[in-house]
Parts: sequence; C-alpha cells; structure tokens
Amino acid sequence: MATVTAPLPGVQSHEENKLRISDYLKWSVDHKIIGVQYMVTSLIFFVIGGALVMLVRWELLTPALDLVQDGTQFNQLFTMHATVMIFLWIIPMFAGFGNYLIPLMLGAKDMAFPWLNALAFWMIPPAGILMLLGYFAGQAEAGWTSYPPLSTLFSPGDGQTMWAIAIHVLGLSSILGALNFIVTIRNMRAEGMGYFQMPLFVWGILATSLIIVMATPFLAGGLTLLILDRVAGTAFFNPAQGGDVLLWQNVFWFYSHPAVYIMVMPGFGILSEVLSAHSRKSIFGYRAIALSSLAIALLGFTVWAHHMFTSLMPSLRIPFMLTSMIIAVPTGIKIFSWIGTIWGGKIRLTSAMLFGLGFLSMFVIGGISGVMVAAVPFDLHVHDTYFVVSHFHFVLYGGSVLAIYAGVYHWYPKITGYMMDERLGKIHFWITYIAFFFTFFPMHMLGMLGMPRRVAVYAPEFQSLNAIVSISAFVLGLSTFIFLYNLVYSLYKKRIAGPNPWRVLTLEWATDSPPPAHNFHGDPVFFKNPYGFGTEAAYRYLEEQEKELGPSYPYTMEPEKRSVVTAPASTGD
Amino acid sequence: MTREELLALKNKRTLVTAFQISWIMVFVCLIVVCLQIRGTVSTALPALNAVDFGVPLLATLAIIASGVTAWKAEAAIRRDDRAGFMNLWRLTIALSGSFLAIMIGVFFFNPYLESGLYGQIFRVMIGYHAIHAMAIGWWLVQVYLNARSGMYSARAYWGVEAGARLWYFVIVAWLMFYVVLYLM
Repeated sequence: MATVTAPLPGVQSHEENKLRISDYLKWSVDHKIIGVQYMVTSLIFFVIGGALVMLVRWELLTPALDLVQDGTQFNQLFTMHATVMIFLWIIPMFAGFGNYLIPLMLGAKDMAFPWLNALAFWMIPPAGILMLLGYFAGQAEAGWTSYPPLSTLFSPGDGQTMWAIAIHVLGLSSILGALNFIVTIRNMRAEGMGYFQMPLFVWGILATSLIIVMATPFLAGGLTLLILDRVAGTAFFNPAQGGDVLLWQNVFWFYSHPAVYIMVMPGFGILSEVLSAHSRKSIFGYRAIALSSLAIALLGFTVWAHHMFTSLMPSLRIPFMLTSMIIAVPTGIKIFSWIGTIWGGKIRLTSAMLFGLGFLSMFVIGGISGVMVAAVPFDLHVHDTYFVVSHFHFVLYGGSVLAIYAGVYHWYPKITGYMMDERLGKIHFWITYIAFFFTFFPMHMLGMLGMPRRVAVYAPEFQSLNAIVSISAFVLGLSTFIFLYNLVYSLYKKRIAGPNPWRVLTLEWATDSPPPAHNFHGDPVFFKNPYGFGTEAAYRYLEEQEKELGPSYPYTMEPEKRSVVTAPASTGD
Repeated sequence: MTREELLALKNKRTLVTAFQISWIMVFVCLIVVCLQIRGTVSTALPALNAVDFGVPLLATLAIIASGVTAWKAEAAIRRDDRAGFMNLWRLTIALSGSFLAIMIGVFFFNPYLESGLYGQIFRVMIGYHAIHAMAIGWWLVQVYLNARSGMYSARAYWGVEAGARLWYFVIVAWLMFYVVLYLM
C-alpha cells in the first residue's frame, strides 16, 4: 500500500473545472452548463407542481369542499399540476440529462449547435412563467388535455389562452432540443463508434428525439387552431357552429400518447446505465433494448385512439386495442432484459441502484395496468376514474421520476465532482418508495369502485381510501425535500468523487469530474463494449484510466485530508 | 475545408433535413383537419370558376418554377459561376414573390369566405403557408443581398444551399395543400 500525500489529480482537476453559481444564471453555450440549467429549472417547477397537488390532496381528504371555494378552483389546481409536471418537470429534466451527457457519452466537445441548444433552454423559463401568470388572468381549468368545449366555451379566463401559448413555446423548445440531439448523435460520435456501441441512454434520447420531432409539430397545428378558436372567433372545435370536439381529441392524442414515451424513454436509458453499472453486469440483450426503443417510438404513433374508447366509433376500438397491447411487447423485452442484466450480478445497493430497482418494480405495475386499460371492456368500466390516474402515475412517477432520481444519484458525482450522501439517499429512497406505493396503489381500488377523476366532491364511502392516499401523498411530498437537501448538503460536504467513482466504462466517466471546458483532454478512447464488465480488457481499461486521470471515490477523500491509500481496486471487475 | 468545417457543414445539412421532416407534420395536421371538416360539412361548397381555379394553378406553377431556378442557382454557385447564380437567384425571388402575392390575394378573395368552417380552415391553411413563404422568402432576399457583396463562392455557399433547401420545403408544403384544397 502506498500513501499519496500530494494533491490528487482528480481533486486538482475538480478545483480547476469548478464553476461559480453565477455561471449557471446567464446565457452559456456550454452543454454542461445548459444541462444543469435545465435540471435546476425543472426541479423548481417540480416543487411548484408538487405544491399544487398537495392542495389537491388536502381538498380530497374529506368528501366535501374544504379548501377550495368551488369546482373551478379545483380544476385549476389539477390542470396546472399536470401541465407543470409534464411540460416543465419531466420533459425538460430529461432534456437536461441529455444535454449534459450526450456529448460526453459520444466523445464530443459539445452539442452540434450550442447556440440553438441555449436558445431551446431559455424558451422554457418565460413559457413556464407565462403559464403560471395565468393565475392572475383566470387560470387554465380544462385539464392538461385541454378538451374543448371545456377549453374554449367554458374557460373564459385569458389564463387558458396563456396556457396554450406557453405549451406552443415549450413544444418549440422541445423540437429544437430534439433536432440538436439527432444531429449530435448522428454526426458527432467518437471516431469509430458505431450506433451499437453507443450507451443505451443515447439510444433512449435518440428514440425520444425522433418522437418529439414527428409528434410535437402535430400538436403545434392543433394548438394553433385552439388559440384561433379562443381569440379569433373560429369554430373548429365548437359543435354549435359545426365544429368537432373529437377532432381536438384525435389531434391532441396523436401527440400526447407518443409524449408518454417522450416522458419515459430517457428513463429507460438511465435505467440501463444504472442497473448495469451497479450490478457489475453486462447488459443482457443490448440490441434488443436499443431496437425496442425504436419499436416503441414507431408503435407509439398507432395507439392514440385508445384514449377515446368511450367516444370512438365502435369499429375502431378493436384495431386500437390490438396496437395498444402490441406495444407492451417491446416494453416487455426491455423489462426482461433488465432483469437478465441484474440476474447473477454483484449488486451494490447504492441509492442509484435502489431507485433503479424501484423503477423496475413500480413501472411493471404501471405497465400491467396499462395493458388492462388497453382492453376495451375494462376501459369502458374504468374510463375517467381513479384507476387511470393510478395507471399513469405508476408510469410517470414510478417510472420517470424514480428514473430521474436514479440518474441524479448516479451522475451527480460527474456533474459536481462530489459524491451524494448515501445515507440520506437511502432514507430518501425508502420513504419515497413506500409513500409512493400507498399514494397511488389505492387509487386502483377507488377507480374500480367507480370514483371519477377530476372531482373535488365525492361519495362518502370513498373517504377511507382517499385519506390513505392523501396522507401518503403528504409524506411523498416531504420525502422530496430530503432529496433537495441532499443535493445542497453534498455540495458542502465536499466528498470528492474523482473521475470514475462507479468504475463505469462509458465515455462520460473517462474524464475529470466535473469535466473540463471541452470535455476531454485530447481525443477520448472509447471502450468497445460500454457494458463489458468483468472482462480482463475492462479491468485494464479502467486501470489505464485511473493512471491517467487519478483515483476515484472511495479511494479519494475529503480535500482537507488529501492523502489516500491507493490499494488495487477490489471491485469485482 | 478542415475537418471541423466539414463536420459543421454536415451538421447543418442534417439539421435542415430533420427540420423539414419534422415541421411538415404541422401541415399534415392542418390537412387532416381540413379533410375532417370537408367530410362533415353540412352544406355544399361553392363550385370553383375558371379564375378561382386558374389563379392558384398559376401560383403553383410559379412556385414549382422557383424551385427549379433555386436548384440551378445553387448549382451555378457550386461551379463558381457568380453571374449565373445572381441571374437565377433574382428569377427565384421574382417567382417566389409572384406566388406570395397571388396567395395573399387568395387569402382575402376566395370563394369560401362565406363557407363557415371550411372557409375558416381554408384561410388558416393559406395564411399559415404564406407566413412560411414570407419568412423563408426573406431568407432568399437576404442571400441575394449577401451575394451582391460577394459573400458566396464555390467554397462557401451554405447560405444559398440552406435558403434553397428551406424553399423546397415551402414548395412541398404548398403542393400538399394544393392537392387537398384544389384537386381532391
């Protein structure tokens, strides 16, 4: 054992690459700064969206009206909760991960169009503020689906128009970001890196970007017509003047069902990275996972009308039921591949891994309930009930949000150069996991018993289950603050991560933490199989990397000590 | 060109192609809405007379011709034939301007003004396309202004290429609309 007393290379580079908070508050074209800007902005909106739903659950503690004065206020609360969570939290958060990681994973210096990248980000804060400012102008109250005539004839406030314009701007931002991802992935991979040597997170972002560029413009067309109905006196969705409300539903869901995959496929990518790295196992079925992302992207365009089984022509129900069930096949391929990945692995129950496993278990429940509502007879029974609310929260919280947590715990060391506190991480996980389950699982029962969604007043027999849901939701809300606290606390705790604390083979770890301005020192050399753990070649690659970049956590220590025992790693590689 | 310059050019070309494939979906959306409205409209739409049919046809021929001249102009600048490029680009702008002028006229004077919902979607489609034609048409003008100061050559013609590619997008979008609005 040798004792190193000089400043460690990893520590030194960390100090050199450290950015001030003010760097994140201004226009920058560095993809890493933009990535963090996306993430922090999204987190702020996550807290806002979460606060809104706490009010919703407070109202639903009892069957009568307690907190809100009338149904309109309640409608405004859940409308803004859903919109903020979808368009200002999950989608931009994943864009943040993509921005930070894609160039690094590909061995590029930046995104293909850095200026466009910054523009895409800076469209988000004003759009979000515009949407929230609707509070002062008669807030949007037609749900995130904005179905006419609720969003036209029955939403007199200008807030509904502001909502539609904000969604338009957010959609444009999303398209610009996706175009940038597509170009970067196609053209800027490291020399010799083929598509099937890319990390699976990159595949997730690629499939997501393809959906965004094809589906989001469709919504833009529909929103244009909706705005014209509201401000220019047209009547495209006004039945009284020959318009068709179902037309909006078709246009909206042609975008918004694929949007579900926009919200979850980057999470699939994160999960692939986390499960493989923290179980020291090669991905089981790399190509199957990669290609199933494309299959989901394609099939996602064929299922939109399953949201309209109750209003659709009966003859169209069976075809859409079949396509909706078929889409479970590529999703199932992924799930079995992830189980195969961790099977027999040297599993480390880190916070990232716990959230990864949490995703796997909860998303499966969301997937199964998805197959249930894809069946027409069952859907007719539970349509617009709490069963549906439960289903999509198992997908979007149990899937997307848990994946975001897993990703943050996994890549926080790369982004900040410091380890996140594992003890707090585990406390965060267990409270979140249990509170999440008791928040959303009883909703299945409420739905099957017939409790409709989007109501402030409900039948007294539903109160017990609603009380369980509301109390669990409050706990779930509080658990978020453990996470937020940990984000800040770990920055002050300064437990140096070093370049590659998880000993991972993908390229983002083959550089300092945080990475230097142009990401790498010289041309990065990528490892041919990004998940080839346990091989002699992988061991040698990591050894070489450590010699060049310096040791990593747990071999690095707090900066004040700056001395470390550099024993050979016993990681099981 | 250096390796970085080549990569930058490749990126720009990929971006424009991806944008074209993406943004055409807005036009597809409007076509779907138009077909839906036409399928459900309760009263018969007015028949088109020779002027109502002929004028948009003329505009369509003009915009197709502008695509050909833009393509030939780009080929000319690639050969470093700057005089040829200028002549062809001027022609492109003239043809594009004619198309736009006619379509602005169609927006304000068309047989569907009293046709309720169909008249509304008709005007939205014409207007939406015209906005794109105006924005990208301005690019064509800007390229012309740049070219007058000698900005483009056989080594540096991305501005021309991008303008032409975006104008092809306007042409394709219009042809889709034309088929739906006048031939179906």
